Amino acid sequence: MSEDTTVLHASSPPLNRMVIAVLSMVGLFVALYLMAHNLGLTGPIVCGVGDCGTVQSSVYAKVGPIPVSAIGVAGYLILLCLAYLGVQPIHRESPVIGAFLFSGSLVGVTFSAYLTYLEAFVIEAWCQYCVISAIVMLLIFLAALPEVPRFIRRAS
Amino acid sequence: MTKFGMILGVVALIGAGWLFWSVRGSVLGTPATGPLLELDLEDRAVYQQLAQGITSGDPTGTIGIIEFGDYQCPGCGGFALSVKPQIDLALVQTGRAYFQYFDFPLINMHPHAFLAARAARCAGDQDLYWEYHQELFRNQSSWSGRQSAVGAFLGYAQGLGLDQDTFEGCVKSDKYADVVTANMSLGQEAGVSGTPTIFLNVKGQGLRPVMRNDFQSIEAAIESALEDLETAGN
Repeated sequence: MSEDTTVLHASSPPLNRMVIAVLSMVGLFVALYLMAHNLGLTGPIVCGVGDCGTVQSSVYAKVGPIPVSAIGVAGYLILLCLAYLGVQPIHRESPVIGAFLFSGSLVGVTFSAYLTYLEAFVIEAWCQYCVISAIVMLLIFLAALPEVPRFIRRAS
Repeated sequence: MTKFGMILGVVALIGAGWLFWSVRGSVLGTPATGPLLELDLEDRAVYQQLAQGITSGDPTGTIGIIEFGDYQCPGCGGFALSVKPQIDLALVQTGRAYFQYFDFPLINMHPHAFLAARAARCAGDQDLYWEYHQELFRNQSSWSGRQSAVGAFLGYAQGLGLDQDTFEGCVKSDKYADVVTANMSLGQEAGVSGTPTIFLNVKGQGLRPVMRNDFQSIEAAIESALEDLETAGN
């Protein structure tokens, strides 16, 4: 038992979780920027291409009373915490964190795909920060894929 | 510290710096350089009440020449420097028409246009709107490409003899941000998609678009509108 623990602690941190943590940090700041814009703190949104103003002022920029950007902030923050926790020696082999990371990123990438669909076909305007966020979320999802065999192996 | 921790820290620092840079306008009290998002622009009554053109000539006249313009737009610069003086001389000063300017800053391509519109209105507080308006267009190529145009705007005010403290206080606030935002909405409602867009405001008949922005076309459109009024009167 003590031998197992030693081996476990000595193993290197999972690369995919480190990548998820860094990507989540990037996504968090993009979402924070969009939230600051929602709060009227940034003036006109600065876009090299596209039309963030149209997207951000559309009815789809909120889910009920909650701005989509706030949902993004919460989502990225949860993923960041999970990934950071998942690289700590005591949790490196944790299938629970792996399962949460995968399911969280799956929810995130599905929601991002829906928002990208809205931009393309309903609002018919692109916001580059929303596109960056969608790409970051897709990369997080891809980085979370190696978690699947881990928690399946553990479960069986 | 591990390599991972360092990378995460660097990303956090860059992100925090970028976020602070983006919101510094609100945090540090620097000028409003974009539309006010808190205005309910879906509500027609809100912006119709706030929208305000700057008029030269008698606004109760039969014919008004309405321009929706952007201070950073080269086309508007050309119009202000070559066509507007002719309008002033031949139409406004003779009492045949009045001229009214509404702001329509194209904020996605012209980052200083909104602030310029506000600055001109700040000059208007000291009764030098049109002088400042022309000064902005005369020097458009000089301030347009700058990182920040505030210094240039203060300089033009000084050149015109405006009270510096009052002007600077106005520019470095959000004064008139609501009016400029409302003017933008009014323009959108009128179908403005580019600048300069010229309309005739014919008493009792509303807005008529003028297809070309040269003086002859505007004068011809006025003649035609007056003839229509005369026909309708008979």
